[in-house]
Amino acid sequence: MKRSNKKVLAAVPANGRPANNKSKKAAANGTPPSRFYGTPLPGVKPEELSGTLVVIEGTDGSGRSTQIYLLTEWLESQGFAVQTMGLRRSYLVGEDIDALLAENAVTPMTLALMYSTDFFDQLERRILPALRSGLVVLADRYIFTLIARAAVRGIGRDYLHGIYEIALRPDLTFWLNVRPEVAFDREFKKSQTISYWESGRDMSLSNDLFQSFIRYQSMIKREFEYLSKRHGFLELDGESSVSKVNQVLRKRIASHLGIRSTQYKPSHALSHLWR
Amino acid sequence: MVTTTPDISPAADPAPAKPPTIKRAYPGALVVVEGIDGSGKSTQLYLLKRWLEIGGYRTHFTEWNSSPLVKSATRRGKQRRLLTPTTFSLLHAADFADRCERQIMPLLHGGYLVLADRYIYTAFARDGARGCSPHWLRNLYSFAPAPDITFYFRAPLDVAVNRILAGRPKLKYYEAGMDLGISLDRSESFRIFQERILNNYDQMVETDHFVLMDGTVRVNKLQKLMRQIVGEKISLQQFAPKKK
Repeated sequence: MKRSNKKVLAAVPANGRPANNKSKKAAANGTPPSRFYGTPLPGVKPEELSGTLVVIEGTDGSGRSTQIYLLTEWLESQGFAVQTMGLRRSYLVGEDIDALLAENAVTPMTLALMYSTDFFDQLERRILPALRSGLVVLADRYIFTLIARAAVRGIGRDYLHGIYEIALRPDLTFWLNVRPEVAFDREFKKSQTISYWESGRDMSLSNDLFQSFIRYQSMIKREFEYLSKRHGFLELDGESSVSKVNQVLRKRIASHLGIRSTQYKPSHALSHLWR
Repeated sequence: MVTTTPDISPAADPAPAKPPTIKRAYPGALVVVEGIDGSGKSTQLYLLKRWLEIGGYRTHFTEWNSSPLVKSATRRGKQRRLLTPTTFSLLHAADFADRCERQIMPLLHGGYLVLADRYIYTAFARDGARGCSPHWLRNLYSFAPAPDITFYFRAPLDVAVNRILAGRPKLKYYEAGMDLGISLDRSESFRIFQERILNNYDQMVETDHFVLMDGTVRVNKLQKLMRQIVGEKISLQQFAPKKK
């Protein structure tokens, strides 16, 4: 199943969104005017946000968390302070969403709005303060996963974009793209089972868990293909080795932040991730 | 109190559907009360509910912010004052979505007359007063079914505010709009916050077809009027108990 996809690894800048391609110098202080998709969040002054927001998107098993551990270490070694965010980590509703998911009685719209509450709580209480202080924020998933998950459950894409139009536009968005079959193998290897939600079992796609997982992840992937075009993702082959993917990520981030050297070898503590 | 005027519900009488009338995909009906705190809306809706209950009608009462789903989050957010205008608004929207999907919609499809104490206009008025963009709020609640009647109870600001201040020992932080930083004095903050909400309501009267109700009119007189309007706008016999 491990198909080596040698040439695909180049980060492909999709459509010409303001992806800050060669802003070697401007990075940390130059704030482009369109930091928000639409009207900014109430009470936020975009010009105060001097930090950089880097988003890593991709399904479970695409290697997001691994890459974020490694990037954090690399950035810190380069003298950049890092803040992270991820889904269901807000103080306000993180635990409530866990409880809802466990209970499994929640309807799609409610779940989508609970996730958006979780997202904006983190954005306002953690990310914006970090960006005001000039930190690099590494987001383990962002609005795109939330939009994709809700969209495959029948909630309108325009509706979802409307909710998230007050969110901050990332400086860089990477998509670690893997085939559903590969994601399945990796997830199964990791936890010896497949999660209820990651296989979309609430959608009654198939009684067979494998089929359900593949169909669900394929639907999510289609949403991501659409989102990638709309928002200009930097698409990476998530099936390549950890070190290769990391190298591409470092290159793009280094060029954005104006870091000259992209040399990096993980410390002993993280060397087990370096596959 | 016989209905002859435009029937909003397609199940009852499909013949004379007026152009501006919204097409309903369900046989039920939705009656909503809106207005600032102290405008008398809850009292009036309670009396309407009693009238319908006593008459044996298929009816159900629902109120804003009542689902157990987000109770713990709301409590946590309010106690520790963590809520921003956006998260405050989203949390209420999640709560409303839960009620809408699991209670209001099934009841409307099941042919109930649903009575709602506050509805999406509360969010438009209140969250708008907190600084959320009206356009964003409209989109956020666009999944909600449009009411058949929206009663807007309007009382002068002083009357409403004094009713609340007289009956409540201490205004709560968010209730008084203290998060807006308008004033350090809770009563003063509450008054200014309510004024902004009142202005937002007033602006929706035309666009959202509110039925304006004078909150200073005597309770029983106002209730008589309310019952009359409900009888005119909704074909009540379809909710009446089946005769054997």
